[in-house]
Amino acid sequence: MDQPLNRLLLFVIFLSVSLPISAAKVSLSPDKWGDPAGKECVSCHEKSSAGLTTQWKRSQHAEAGVNCLDCHKADIDDADAITHEGAIIATIVSPLDCGRCHTTEYEQQRGSVHSEAVTLIENRLPALAGHVGGAAIVAAGCDQCHGSTVRVRGDGTLDPATWPNSGIGRINPDGSKGSCSSCHGRHRFSKAQAREPSACVRCHSGPDSPDKAIYEASKHGMLFESQREEMALNSDSWVAGKDYVAAPTCVTCHMGAAGKLKATHDVGMRNMWSLNTPVSQKQQLVVFEDGEKIELPESMPSPRRGSEISKMDGTMGKVKAAATPARRRQAMSMVCLECHSKPFTNSFMNQFDAVVNLYNEKFGQPAENIMQQLYSEGLLTPTPFDEPIEFTYWELWHDEGARARHGASMASPNHTWWEGMYLVGRNFYSRFLPQILEVAGKERGEQIISSHVLSREGHEWLKHPNKKNPILGYGKGRLSDD
Amino acid sequence: MTSWKLPVYITRHFLYALFLGGIAGIGFMVFLIEFDHLTSTEEFCTTCHSMELAAETYRQSTHYNPVSGVRASCGDCHVSEGVFEATWDHFMGSKDLFSQIFGPDYDDPVVNALHLPDAAFSARKWFEERDSATCMRCHTLNAIQGKRPDTNAIHVEETEGKSCIHCHINLVHRKVPDQKTFKREKWNAMIEEEFGLEPGAAARILAEE
Repeated sequence: MDQPLNRLLLFVIFLSVSLPISAAKVSLSPDKWGDPAGKECVSCHEKSSAGLTTQWKRSQHAEAGVNCLDCHKADIDDADAITHEGAIIATIVSPLDCGRCHTTEYEQQRGSVHSEAVTLIENRLPALAGHVGGAAIVAAGCDQCHGSTVRVRGDGTLDPATWPNSGIGRINPDGSKGSCSSCHGRHRFSKAQAREPSACVRCHSGPDSPDKAIYEASKHGMLFESQREEMALNSDSWVAGKDYVAAPTCVTCHMGAAGKLKATHDVGMRNMWSLNTPVSQKQQLVVFEDGEKIELPESMPSPRRGSEISKMDGTMGKVKAAATPARRRQAMSMVCLECHSKPFTNSFMNQFDAVVNLYNEKFGQPAENIMQQLYSEGLLTPTPFDEPIEFTYWELWHDEGARARHGASMASPNHTWWEGMYLVGRNFYSRFLPQILEVAGKERGEQIISSHVLSREGHEWLKHPNKKNPILGYGKGRLSDD
Repeated sequence: MTSWKLPVYITRHFLYALFLGGIAGIGFMVFLIEFDHLTSTEEFCTTCHSMELAAETYRQSTHYNPVSGVRASCGDCHVSEGVFEATWDHFMGSKDLFSQIFGPDYDDPVVNALHLPDAAFSARKWFEERDSATCMRCHTLNAIQGKRPDTNAIHVEETEGKSCIHCHINLVHRKVPDQKTFKREKWNAMIEEEFGLEPGAAARILAEE
């Protein structure tokens, strides 16, 4: 299939794969739920666990007649099936369980950057969480956002090192990946709650992706806060520009319906850049026939429909479609266009891209190259984090580097500069470069810095020690600075 | 004056026999009662080493160390009330003694753990068949208060057609899933991991017996 046709197909997928987030009405016939046996749970559970039962009673699930068993029922053969009051149930309601009714949402979240949150960090986790932290941190920290691999023990109990857990990429006993309750607080399952920016804060906070803080510091966040009553958060239909215009939330831009753009539960679909990598890349989204997905750098040739390429887990998969970075940017921009003009939107995107490019070229790429050189020359041990420069490098891209890029993407000036690129620069010049001299020795270190840094645009000022400026007090009190 | 006479078959020997038989009968009953008491104690039960393994978890349980200080012995739960039922239970229980002597080596912690689920399933069945009668020696449904406000309401309102064992399993001994959702391979794998055995060892041990 040729490229234009491929793109056309993609566009069709973009517009048709998903129903609007607001109008994702369950198309299943109502006789699929309302299991009579499930009605019996309530009278006991309103006593034994009144909180969650009341939450459920106030939910749209209860209103529609969806009861405990509809979600919690399991097959005898399920790994985590337990017998409870004569019913075969599972404690964990996995995306596959929710997908019994919410098929569209299940298919969309499948293979998304959210559902792959464990797989994405699998190979680095042991070095960071294992060495620097410990098993307790993995269970209570990392896994609570990324998701645990839930282990069912031989006696039928869930291994407490892996459960409770509502990490978004949780690997469930049924093999499915993800956790709907990561965003949709159980057992109330309120639309409004999931549309709030606070739905994302449990994980999108902290040094590497302070997205809630970035959002709050942006004009969008300010408007949301002051006009939240105009947000129609409880509305069945929730299309930006139609049902609400006050402000966009996280959901609006990354998942929500806007104008003709359909909603999606694939949260990363509209992201053109990879922002949480040492060097950002424009990325194309490849969708496999089985519903799984993979991100490929723009530099790689776009795979053809029907061709076989390697999936996340290393097995081969047949390509169904691929979305180019430009197409993804176009989708994101469709949200902006509900309130902003085209030139405004494009210029904003230009400002954002410029920050990413600046980070990449001035800091990210040289730092990555230098680290590779230090490792290949044996100037650093292969073990991560046993040398100070490794922490410096890690924070450079993972913390402040990501913060700067996220700040620019969502229009928070402070996160872009003071919390972001300023710290990248400070740590690059005042820690990273001196540490190179420490590990490589003065002579070799200076060679490395010279070839990777001084030759690059943006660092020329280092060669001019006499460029005077009063910012730090130079020349203060003098009549002239001869 | 009418004369009252014993029937002719009530002879002196008959009276001796009746007297001696009565004494023997009382003695026998006393023996059974004492026997049932003796054989219901932890000390007696754990004379078999395999039972010591069951007692380890029992000694960690609230039935051994309740705040009230009312300690339930093995027989309080596992032997019925009443001398005839108790005797019958002990009689039936002698098949365990038979298995202990002639069956698999239950004294071996691995063998013991591998067989534990079957023991748990039959114990649960035993409780179900008796409507958890031994639980109710001490526990009275209406009087169960619990720590949470609704515990009493649940026990009063939600227990129709159920006895204790329907909800309360795995209180005292090592946790075993319900028979319906029990997965033998998973159990074996857990025991293999616990005792550092290579995968497949459990199935082999079970097959060898």
